[in-house]
Order: sequence, then C-alpha cells, then structure tokens
Amino acid sequence: MNTTTQVSDSALVSLYIAGNENAFEQLVNRHKNKVYTTILLIVKDTYTAEDLMQDAFIKAIHTMKSGRYNEEGKFSSWICRIAHNLAIDFFRKEKRSPMITLEDGSNVFNTMAFAEDSAEQFQVKEDTHARLRELIQTLPQSQREVLMMRHYADMSFQEIADSTGVSINTALGRMRYALINLRKKMLNSNIAYDKNLYSE
Amino acid sequence: MIKTSTQNELIQYVYNELADDACTQLEAAFMHDNELAEGCSELLQIQNLLDTALKSPHQRAVQNILNYSKSLSLQS
Repeated sequence: MNTTTQVSDSALVSLYIAGNENAFEQLVNRHKNKVYTTILLIVKDTYTAEDLMQDAFIKAIHTMKSGRYNEEGKFSSWICRIAHNLAIDFFRKEKRSPMITLEDGSNVFNTMAFAEDSAEQFQVKEDTHARLRELIQTLPQSQREVLMMRHYADMSFQEIADSTGVSINTALGRMRYALINLRKKMLNSNIAYDKNLYSE
Repeated sequence: MIKTSTQNELIQYVYNELADDACTQLEAAFMHDNELAEGCSELLQIQNLLDTALKSPHQRAVQNILNYSKSLSLQS
C-alpha cells in the first residue's frame, strides 16, 4: 500500500509552468493510460492512438508553457478532452465508419502487463480485456460517448452534459444504460464476474 | 423496482459525485433494500472491470513527449 502523499495535478502543473520537467513527467505517467485508452477506443489502432496521444500532450505543453492553461478545471478532464477531440477529428478526417471492426486474433491489444501472472493467466486476462474493449465499442454511440468521457476521460456528469448539450439526467441515464448493456453483453459473451480474473 | 431518480443517484454514488447527505441516505437505504444494494454492487463490479481494460502506450511514445517538452525548455 502506497502511503506517500501524492502531489496534486494542480501543483504539478504549477511546477511545470515554473520550469520543472520532472513535474511534467509525473503528470504524463499519471494520465498516459487514460489518455491513450480514450483515444484507442475511438480510433481502434495502436499506432494511431500513440501518435494522437503525443499530439494531445504536445497541445497541452504549448498551452501550459504559453500561460493559457485554465486552472479552473481538472487537468485529467482537460487532457482527456483534448485527446477525445483529436481522436474524433481524426475519425472524421479519415471518413471511417463508426461501426465496429472486431480484432479477433490480432495483436493490437497485446501490451498489458501482469507481472505476476503465469503465461496462461496472462492470456486469459488479456483475452477478457480485449473482448471487453470490443464490447464497449458495440454500445450505442451516445452511451459509449458518456461511458468514455466519465470513466476514461474523468469528466464529471455535469461537464459531459455541458459538452454534449444534454441535461445531467440524460447523461446519467445514458451512463446507466451503458453499464447495464455492457453487463448484459458480458453475460451473453460468457465474461463472468471473477474477482481473481479482474484483479490487477 | 428501483426508481429512475434513485438509479441515477446510484451512478453518481459509484462515481463519487453524490452529495454527502444524499450518500448517507443511500447507504442507509442499502441496509433494508436488497435490490438497491445489489444494483450498487453490480455497478461497482462493472466499474472495476472497466478499469482493467485500460491500456498502456509504449514507453517510446511517452519518451517522445518528455523529450519534446525538454527541447522546448532548452530553446527558451
């Protein structure tokens, strides 16, 4: 259990703006997985997702270094919103269909680390997590959007409501249906609730 | 049958967005409403599962970002 007090994102941003590169490294390491997953769930390609993740952080660097960073919101929501917008822009430019291309057997999602697992356990977990990401992508667009914004981009339901032009109750309802539908899809796909399987 | 307003509160609860007094009321309701407690438990399980679906980028991509930032600092 980690008992050290974690420096807040806000403090790290201030340190970075003052010239402390180590503070920025901590921010990147703290948020890289959420930023990357937010993008990956939209573009569905690891190379493109890594490129867009770099673009997102570079945009953030320029905003912070030029003194245009707005202290009001959370850093995590802000950086994930940049990532989300870049991924959506990419999607539109590519004129890709938002329909799902499943990745059966591909090595697209093959880099999760489970240091203490056996090879077999690792494969079972990896298959399960890859299947879960596929299932997320089969959700209706409005539900998937709210789920990604809240769970991965760390935006509040009010921020999501403002961003998508709906009431907070609609955003909450969409999230509720997203989670309920995801659960049904998991049960239909024989993805069981096994705590040992899902523990990190 | 759980009311829609309560279901929305459950979502806010598992994402730590419910006001303290509403949290207290909801937690008290869990004690005598099994359906509500089970609904909350299911949401928490799915929430945990979603966390495991997070992916890590390659370290190379992360290093590119850090190098870019350092290069800007050196220029200024």
